Amino acid sequence: MFRPASRCAALLYLLLALRAGAEQATLPRVVSLNPSLTEILLALDARPALVGVDDYSARASSEVAGLPRVGGLFDPSLEAIVALEPDVVALVPSAEQRDLRARLEALGIEVLVLENHTLPQLLASIEALGARVGRAAPARERVAAIRRALADAERAAQRRPRVRAVLVLQRDPLFLVGRGSYLDALLTAAGADNLAAEFPDAYPRVDLEWVIAAAPALILDASEDPEPAMTHWRRWPSLPAVATGRVVPLVAAEVTLPGPHLERALAILARAVAGE
Amino acid sequence: MSAATPALAFEDIALRLGGRDLLRGVSLALAPGEIVALVGRNGAGKTTLFRVASRILRPERGEVRIAGRPIGSLSRRELARELAVVPQDVGIPFPFRAGEIVLMGRAPHQGGLGFESADDLARARAAMEAVGVAELASRDVTALSGGERQLVLVARALAQDPRVLLLDEPTAHLDLRHRTVVVERVRRFVEEGRSALVVSHDLNLAARSCDRIALLAEGRLLACGKPAEVLDAAALRATFGIEADVLAGPDGAPLVVPRRASPLNAPSPTG
Amino acid sequence: MRTLTPARLAAWLAVFAAGLCAVLLVGVAAGPSGLALRDVLDVLREERAATAAHDIVFGVRLPRVALGALVGAALATAGALFQALLRNPLADPFVLGVSGGAAVGGIAALSFGAALGLGYGAVPPAAFAGAVLTTVALQAVAGVAGRVSPTHLLLTGVVFNAFASAAIVFLASMAGLQEGARIFVWLIGSLSSARPELIASVALFLVAGLVCALPAARQLNLLALGEESAQQLGVDVTRLQRLLLLATSLMVGAAVSVAGLVGFVGLIIPHLLRLLLGPDHRLLLPTAALGGAAFLVLCDTAARTLFGGRELPVGAITALAGGPLFLWLLRRQQQRAFAP
Repeated sequence: MFRPASRCAALLYLLLALRAGAEQATLPRVVSLNPSLTEILLALDARPALVGVDDYSARASSEVAGLPRVGGLFDPSLEAIVALEPDVVALVPSAEQRDLRARLEALGIEVLVLENHTLPQLLASIEALGARVGRAAPARERVAAIRRALADAERAAQRRPRVRAVLVLQRDPLFLVGRGSYLDALLTAAGADNLAAEFPDAYPRVDLEWVIAAAPALILDASEDPEPAMTHWRRWPSLPAVATGRVVPLVAAEVTLPGPHLERALAILARAVAGE
Repeated sequence: MSAATPALAFEDIALRLGGRDLLRGVSLALAPGEIVALVGRNGAGKTTLFRVASRILRPERGEVRIAGRPIGSLSRRELARELAVVPQDVGIPFPFRAGEIVLMGRAPHQGGLGFESADDLARARAAMEAVGVAELASRDVTALSGGERQLVLVARALAQDPRVLLLDEPTAHLDLRHRTVVVERVRRFVEEGRSALVVSHDLNLAARSCDRIALLAEGRLLACGKPAEVLDAAALRATFGIEADVLAGPDGAPLVVPRRASPLNAPSPTG
Repeated sequence: MRTLTPARLAAWLAVFAAGLCAVLLVGVAAGPSGLALRDVLDVLREERAATAAHDIVFGVRLPRVALGALVGAALATAGALFQALLRNPLADPFVLGVSGGAAVGGIAALSFGAALGLGYGAVPPAAFAGAVLTTVALQAVAGVAGRVSPTHLLLTGVVFNAFASAAIVFLASMAGLQEGARIFVWLIGSLSSARPELIASVALFLVAGLVCALPAARQLNLLALGEESAQQLGVDVTRLQRLLLLATSLMVGAAVSVAGLVGFVGLIIPHLLRLLLGPDHRLLLPTAALGGAAFLVLCDTAARTLFGGRELPVGAITALAGGPLFLWLLRRQQQRAFAP
């Protein structure tokens, strides 16, 4: 009935559709329960895989604002998650979510547990998540890019003396970046001597007195207080950082989110450490 | 104040609270130097009358006068200097000493910084000795027995040096000796020209120790007069709802011997 | 029987004031950075600016010690006043929900302040407003013809507290991660926000509260006999209750707005002092102020120094110290009740 040309066209069309459908079929339905995981998926161009996100992710990124929400970080709704019929639920482990994880697994839903506390963990998570959603190659490229940026920064830092610094996450109560987290690793790679690394926890609550006594030459202030950083820290003029004007305000979202574009945060920190 | 002016006068007091008529036109006058007993069933309005006298409650109708002056015209402190109330046992939540409690009775007389003067201390001591609790002065009042605490409260009211004493069942927790002591002390109090109104459930003690008895039932004063004149079987039936015999006691005061409760459809005293 | 004379009162106040001064000195001299006492005294004597020692003493320790003293005094005095008002030696400033209202105000400011462009500076006024509003609401709900009975007040306060707790949980669950940490620390109670500007406002409200409360000390004694008896002794109970609620809301509001919900100071200090010095409020109120100040400064000094450079919120220390103490006091109370 059909002429040969249109039959070819039809066949071509069918093949293309099948291929598209096949690609579609390799993308699992993913629910992300953490903004950093959401960011990773977006960076790996895996947006079509996302069928649901937590409230924080929805607030943080306009790209996923239209997706169904399944609750907060500490109280996601099991029902909402299951209703989306996900193939895999990606989460960062925390005490609050332990129960959720057990129940999801009991229902036969695959749970992908991704740590993002230390730098190696974060990089491994990017690769693992990428592999799971069929974006293994982009994930490996992303990780390689980050590693290259880290190596470059370390090389540049070796040419300069290390700068005694602290990274302030919150002014009151005073939380600093301590030892072990990816932020600590970034700081070190950027050429800073993280004074608060003497505290064994990742984000210690520190007495202001300790900071004054430690006398940092550089204060990186990533708190979100409207009061300008210099105005705040100028209250204690004996701080070398205040005396030399090296109090650098940072935008928390750009620096402290454990996301897929660590090289950007690294660049910001490196510039601040170098004094640019 | 002339000898005819009552120390305390209730003039046609009517009070309504919570939808109920607690007092329905009560008129009662206390002459200086007399003790009047106020008797009646629970809920008859005795404590309510006290509360009206001390201005805790305000009547809808009528007036209370103390030494001829309406109590509304007195300041709170002035009224406290004229009128003292001995309540039924109160719970005292803090470990004040008995002497400190008695000294509190001097508060309406104290001015300024509120440190006790030598006169205050002397009066408090005298009041405690009069009631027989002087040796309890340094004791924690919450550790005393109910009866001892009651005596401390009586001493406090005496230390207040009022014209009129209102006692709400002062002998409730007391043993016979202390009961007698309180009666004697109140008698001595009124002999100085003052007056006392005593709520009592001990009808016979009241009949023996008081000059007049006032019978209160359902907010109305049924009778007020000398015990021998007022206490008869009909009055007792109307006031308490009991069938009782009234005998003549050895000292001339009537002796009430309850036999049984009256039937429920007995004529109401207000009918 | 010995009564309170002006001489005795003055003597006790002198003792407590001396004790407080000693504690203040300890607070300024102690800290995790290992300044020698000599250095501290040097700094106090000379006004040499821009050294680390100067910044530590004047920029960190002095403000904290001053604030700790003021907050401790306010909470302990308010505690004594609440115990008198409710005729219950185990009442504390938080039982009536005044602090709950302050907490809701402060946490709302913490949660939404950033969105509205307000900084941490919005927290104290918001918390204070919360405290005052709660007091007004309390009186409106629990009062009948202007007078409140302790039982009604207590029950209403319990409900207010429950409501405030629910509101706080709601706000906290909606807050971001940073606010969550801040809210938690605020709920436990912390003096880390000590700034000279805040100190002035807390001092003002503490003094205002004391000016209201101290002259009423004798009337507070009378309140122990019960409201009716106090009334019959010449006390205007309605006015006294209003005065007490005003004084306490000023003091609790100011303290909580700056330091959060520091627990046990308002409960333990008046109770302990009552056991030690007797229940006479003429002595109890001023010594509670001084004793509360010293206690909180000591607890805060411990919070600052016990863990190297790390800092615990002071409310954790007052709870650690106060909790067992409170249980012991409770047992004593019970033993008394059942004593023959």
